[in-house]
Amino acid sequence: MTSIQKHLNKLRWISLSLVFIILILLPCLSVYQSFVAAHAYDLLSPSEKSFYEIMEWLTPFVSDPENELDMIKGTTWSASFFGIKLTDPLAIIGQLAAGLQIYWPFIMTGLIPVTLTIIFGRFFCGWICPATFLYELNTNLGVWLHSANLPIGKQHFDRRIKYLVLFFGLILSFFTGSVLVAAIYPPAIIGREIYYAIALGGFGVGSVFFILTLLFDLFVARRGFCRYFCPGGAVYSLLGRYRVFRINRNVSSCNDCKKCTAICEFELDPMRDNFGQECNNCSACIAICPTDALKFTMNCKDIASQGPGHLGHQYSEKNH
Amino acid sequence: MERRNFLQSLICAAVSLAAPLSTQAKVTKNKPRFRYLRPPGSLEENEFEARCIRCGQCAETCPNRCIKFFGTENGLSSYATPYITPREQACILCMKCGDACPTGAIKSIKRSAGTIVEQVKMGKARVDENLCLSYQGKSCGVCYRACPLQDVAITVGWMEQPHVQEACVGCGLCERSCIQIPQAIKIIPNYS
Repeated sequence: MTSIQKHLNKLRWISLSLVFIILILLPCLSVYQSFVAAHAYDLLSPSEKSFYEIMEWLTPFVSDPENELDMIKGTTWSASFFGIKLTDPLAIIGQLAAGLQIYWPFIMTGLIPVTLTIIFGRFFCGWICPATFLYELNTNLGVWLHSANLPIGKQHFDRRIKYLVLFFGLILSFFTGSVLVAAIYPPAIIGREIYYAIALGGFGVGSVFFILTLLFDLFVARRGFCRYFCPGGAVYSLLGRYRVFRINRNVSSCNDCKKCTAICEFELDPMRDNFGQECNNCSACIAICPTDALKFTMNCKDIASQGPGHLGHQYSEKNH
Repeated sequence: MERRNFLQSLICAAVSLAAPLSTQAKVTKNKPRFRYLRPPGSLEENEFEARCIRCGQCAETCPNRCIKFFGTENGLSSYATPYITPREQACILCMKCGDACPTGAIKSIKRSAGTIVEQVKMGKARVDENLCLSYQGKSCGVCYRACPLQDVAITVGWMEQPHVQEACVGCGLCERSCIQIPQAIKIIPNYS
């Protein structure tokens, strides 16, 4: 079992990359469909023609692209997936705040994400979110910058700021009567901006905001936006507070090497059993643990601090 | 910080933020800065902004790629909401956006002439007789031929002079096709 869990982090990267590729492919398909619908091949410019041919090559066995490529539509913010409509819980809360109306068909679209979050915690943040994909690459860039002796951010703030951001986002949504949380939520922004760039000919204002968050992560606090400001992260944290699947430390095989604490992008402290509701199940700590002390277990609560690991230096000192 | 203090500070901050905003929001609302159309079947403007979650699925399913999105040019409250500029690309009334919309901000409407005339209210066409070629004695009739609801929404009289009827839903295909520059037929959106 442990051997599979060791590879979860790679699986997660495959999942993140897939989601990102799909987010780029969907607008391309949409444009291709519109070309097909207009019977426009002869009217296209040379670059559009080659785009058309590439898309045709990417979708073999499709005789009627206009109607047969509608299985997956949308972004991670809200999508229809083989007939099932799925929506980010933040969208639902934001809409409730903006209109103070309950529209059941829409609320039901959040049922599957909410249930999964209650079971798996912030899994969306670690496994699906297209912003995480870019933020983690950004962290790697930060490591390179650091090795080139450039300053990178190491600031710390209160993690609860994101609940304030969520709260004020909802208040603002209420008073302006429009779902403004969508404007500051990176995965929603990325889905939108990729569509703008591919189908509408250019990035919008959201991309400026996103670049600012990237710079913030790089020069102020590592993964700072996710940890301190993301309103969606706040919703997922609250929903996943009593998640069933969580990482626990087996104290008898821990050797206090502190690698897990160093690798954790959310700056949690797995070595001291300190996960809390913030853990996004990225499983990087499991992958790096040299003694296989960390494991996903079914447990509704974190284990209270267990003290130093039994294989560790500190522990043996105390006992001799 | 204790949880209780935290909650208290939350509420205090909320109240202090809410007071100026509530007055400001009323002033800035419902003041479109330029002419645009909402997708067919959209709710009334205020309700639309409250319902729409800015997912962009309407534009993604639109086979005519006529749906575009606001940046901040129409005010912050309509940021990233869909709109149509009929002169650039008009709606072909395929009604796919209504089926795609998860929130009901764009109603799902069956694609038949009866239901479309009854339920779609994007706007209404208006002919500028000083610009229209047919009114200048040069028989044209392009808008009539472009209309998807010919003889229901638009009829032509002598010299193919267009007469817009009550049934016009405001899809904008007439404005798109008008050969005059500037266009002699324009959609007057429903919100104004």
